[in-house]
Parts: sequence; structure tokens; C-alpha cells
Amino acid sequence: MANEAVPLNYIPILLFMAIVVAFAVISLLIGSIARPSHPYPAKLTPYESGSPLFSDARVPFPMRYYIIAMLFVIFDIEFVFLFPWAVGFKQLGLLGLLEMGLFIGILLVGYWYAWKKGALEWE
Amino acid sequence: MVPLSAYVAVSAVLFVTGLIGVLIRRNFIIVLMAIEIMLNAANVNLVAFSHYLESMTGQIVALFVIAIAAGEAAVGLAIIIVVFRGKISTNVDEINLLKW
Amino acid sequence: MVPVFFSYFSLVSILAGVLTVALPNPVHCGLALLTLLLHVAGLFLLLNAEFLFVIQIIVYAGAIVVLYLFVLMLLNLKTDERVLHHRYAVILVAAAAICGGLLLMALRSPFQGAKGHAPVEAVLQDGGSYAIGITIFNEYLLQFEIVGVFLLGAIIGAIVLAKTPTAVDVEPE
Repeated sequence: MANEAVPLNYIPILLFMAIVVAFAVISLLIGSIARPSHPYPAKLTPYESGSPLFSDARVPFPMRYYIIAMLFVIFDIEFVFLFPWAVGFKQLGLLGLLEMGLFIGILLVGYWYAWKKGALEWE
Repeated sequence: MVPLSAYVAVSAVLFVTGLIGVLIRRNFIIVLMAIEIMLNAANVNLVAFSHYLESMTGQIVALFVIAIAAGEAAVGLAIIIVVFRGKISTNVDEINLLKW
Repeated sequence: MVPVFFSYFSLVSILAGVLTVALPNPVHCGLALLTLLLHVAGLFLLLNAEFLFVIQIIVYAGAIVVLYLFVLMLLNLKTDERVLHHRYAVILVAAAAICGGLLLMALRSPFQGAKGHAPVEAVLQDGGSYAIGITIFNEYLLQFEIVGVFLLGAIIGAIVLAKTPTAVDVEPE
């Protein structure tokens, strides 16, 4: 019943991932074996272009980054629906084009709203 | 050959994990993450039935579920940010101003 | 071959789900959620749902988890002192009972049903995304447009909530 053709197509990707992981692990392993190890506190601090550290990595982000990320996620979903439409475009024809036009029109209203509210301004 | 009931079992365990997360965690963001786990459990179930019953409907509903998860994440995280501005807390037990 | 991958993906996804719920540091929870999503994508692949596999990785793992981590960074949360509700033991017992019942039902049922009209061979001939596109735009038009309206509501709601010029909007030095 269950045709397993699709998983078989992905075996090269699996091999690729295995090689990537093995490369990272092996090179780190060889490095840790070969290098001398004499740590002291000044050496263990993160390297920040030679200047002394001035803050934690966990600084609060400004708000506008969130709005940009949120808009990206929503329009990413638009892409999710555009892709199968584009693949079947020939058979879907004019009706499909109208439907997708309506969908994009609805989302453009949201884009227009974001623009008018100044959510895309970086100031 | 994996039986359908194995996928349903995985989906059930994931769903209950997410449900436990929603019920016992106090951090609002973790509660939203637990909701994502529950949505994913539902997706596994839908896609498994779609495959074994040879119908596309399950995959399409899973696609809609992903779209709704994105919208839910956007609005839910915005709510978290607004609440955090007012109270400097993301603890769900302290957000009780509208409680009757 | 497939049962091996199925066991790997399902065990790791369940483990990552438990870690997402149980870890104290929210950033670690986010990373565990990412692991869960990637392994669920692997399950989709085993079920011949190529398109959903790609979408799961691009949208879920690539965009939604990034949104979560953004908010964690934005709010600069440290570990909570008390992460769990005080009555969590009761909930755990109840949940274990429900889960046991569900598993019993799932493993005993044969799950037979009427077959649809998209056998694997026919879908593979033109590709999964083609079949999804044809089915959405022929049978699920209204639902598709409703998703569009829903996304419009999400955009407007999130902007109304998040876009207020007040204090937390700290300027970087």
C-alpha cells in the first residue's frame, strides 16, 4: 500500500547531512587533539576585535525588529500558497488567476495598512 | 512497513506533551510553544491519514494549519509584548486583571 | 529502512517535545522546539508529503521559531525561578491516564476507511505540489480565501498591538 518512492529520493540528502556532521565532528576532534591547551581567564573571554567586553550578548532588541519579523512570517505564508498555484498554473487557468489575485489583494490590504501605520519605517 | 496506528500513537503522545506544557508551565512564551507542539501533533495525524487513505485533503488541511499557526504566533507574541510592557512579567499567573 | 527512520524521527520528536515543556531556560526550549519541528518534517517525508516537508522547514523552522527567539531576545528573559505550577503533579497523573487511553485506542484500532482518489503513484507522476495546487484551487477555494482574510486580521492585529510608541522601545547605544 505505502509506496516508498519519495523517501528513497532523499538518500543523497541523507548522505550529504552525514558528511556535513562527520566533517564538523572530525575536524573539531582533530583540532582538540592537536592543539596545545593552556587556558587562563583572559584567554577564555570571548574575542571582540581586541577591545574589552562591554555587554552581555542578550541585549534587548528594539521593537521594530519584531514587526519586520512578523510581516516576514505572514508573507512567507503567502508564498506557501503561491507555490502550488504556480506549479498547477496551466491547468488552473483564468479562474485560478482570479482566485490568487483576490488572495494577494486581501494581503495587500494588510501591507497597505502596515505601510500607512509606519510599521515599515526604520527612522 | 509502518502501520498507521504507529503514527497515530506518536501524534497522541506529542499532543499530550503539548497539553501538559500548556497546563503546567508559567511562562507565557513556553505556553505558546506548547501550543505549537499540539498543532504539530495534529499535522502528523492529518498527513498520516492522508497518506494511508490516499487522499490529498489531509495534506491541504495541514497546510491551512501551518498558516493558522503562523498567524497565531504573530498575534500571540504581540500580546506577550504588550503585557510585558505593562507588567514586566510573562508569568501567566500574574496576568489576572480581567479574571472574574 | 523506513521503520528505522520512523523510530528515529518519532523518538527524537517526542523527546524534544518533552524537553520543550520541561527545560527551565526559555532559549533552550526554543531550540528543543526547533529540533521537534525538524524531526516532524522527517515524518512528513516518510509519509510522501514532500511539499509539507519543505514548508515545515521553511515556514515553521525558518520563520516561526525565529519569531519566538526574537521575542525571547526582545524581552530579555532570564530563567524563571518557579517554572511550574504548584499543582503540576495532579495534571501529570491525569495527562498520563489520558495518554494511556489514547494509545490503547490508537494501537487497537485498524483504522480502515474509504479510500480517496489520490493514490501514491498518481500523485508521484506529477509531483506532490501539483496535486496540492490542483486540489486547493478546485475544491478548497473558499477555505483558501478565508485563510487570506485570517492572515489580514493577523497582520492588522499584530501591528495594532505591537506598534505603540512607548517605553520598552529602547534605542541601541
